[in-house]
Amino acid sequence: MTMDAIFSHILHQAFFGGIAAAGFGILFNCPRRMIILCFAAGALALTMRTVCTDVVDLSLPEASFLAALVVAIVDRAWWQHGHAFQGSVLAVVGCIPLVPGSLAARGVEELFAITREGTSKGLASASTILEILALTAITLASIGTALAIPMLISPPRGKKS
Amino acid sequence: MRSSDSPSLEGIAQLCLQAGHILLESGANARTVSTSIDSLARGLGCSSVEIYCQHSAIIVMLQRGAEAFTHMGKVGEHGVNLRGGEVVLKVVDKIAHGTIRYDEAQAEIKAATDALHKYPLWLVCLATGLACGAFGRLLGLDWQSFIPVCLGAAAGQWLRVTMLRRSVNFYLVVTTVSFTAALIAGGGGRLLGGSNLEIATIAATLLLIPGPAMLNCQIDALDGKPNLAVARAFRVIQIILFLTLGLVAAQRLIGT
Repeated sequence: MTMDAIFSHILHQAFFGGIAAAGFGILFNCPRRMIILCFAAGALALTMRTVCTDVVDLSLPEASFLAALVVAIVDRAWWQHGHAFQGSVLAVVGCIPLVPGSLAARGVEELFAITREGTSKGLASASTILEILALTAITLASIGTALAIPMLISPPRGKKS
Repeated sequence: MRSSDSPSLEGIAQLCLQAGHILLESGANARTVSTSIDSLARGLGCSSVEIYCQHSAIIVMLQRGAEAFTHMGKVGEHGVNLRGGEVVLKVVDKIAHGTIRYDEAQAEIKAATDALHKYPLWLVCLATGLACGAFGRLLGLDWQSFIPVCLGAAAGQWLRVTMLRRSVNFYLVVTTVSFTAALIAGGGGRLLGGSNLEIATIAATLLLIPGPAMLNCQIDALDGKPNLAVARAFRVIQIILFLTLGLVAAQRLIGT
């Protein structure tokens, strides 16, 4: 891929990541003043993930972890400075486009396919299912861990867990 | 010994549980619920606060001097309502900083939740449609299937709200919405000459993926709340199973 193609792919992913995050922001009844920030958080998350996968050549869980960590740190810093009341909202909504929902659905789809294909193709399907579900679980765990890290290192002032 | 104008422990416990269940039902993680209840109770004069936060119930144990009180409250269907959570967190913050009293906090939470601002349904459906279309583009969806995916997801969201308002079983709603959204997206994509109908059908059902619950599951596990994390994970798996049931049925009908 040429640099131009990589750059336009990153822009494409960032734009649609932002749209997805802003759309889900409205679905989750996010305050109106935060919808633009949701777009920015989603765009930042997808930019980071695309750079990590396309440029640095990281795997999906590694790229998702780094992307979610950057969004969570930016969000935490924003909250710490008193710009947003419920800071974690932005990090969660921003990371929604990173959630491998389609991968999870595909894994279960393969599970249903086993019942149609019978035992002849069963073993091949089982390995595909295992691969997809493992990738989904590890990616989800990576995003969740990355979101929790800033909060665990620097909990909100005057509050205890 | 409490002064005559300070609230009873029972009253404080009820306010804590009210705040807690609104937060949990609004998509907050266990840490947010626990810290908020702790701030609320301490702000109202409790010396010791213990919170046991579960998927379908919250238990609070409060102590003030020689007095002690334990109370349990049920939690309803978990969803995501960030504005609802924000309202409660604002009241908790005011109590913690001593700017409002118990009765004012009670009235504020009630008034705010009764008249909680929500986006109009058409806007929510439009936003959901665009979000799923954008998800589709992220997954490599072609432009021919983009509009059908947006329409399918928007119709799915309208159907979800309508069915939930009529108290239809949640998992039945998931399967019906998934089937309808995938059928519209896949059928529309086929009519317009789309080439990746499988992606189109999956993208249209992504409105049902419980993203915040998935993330909260891991956050709660890291926070040392394994019971809540496991309950969330089980629910997520159930939702994905029922979603896929509708999705596979629509795909077989379309022939992808």
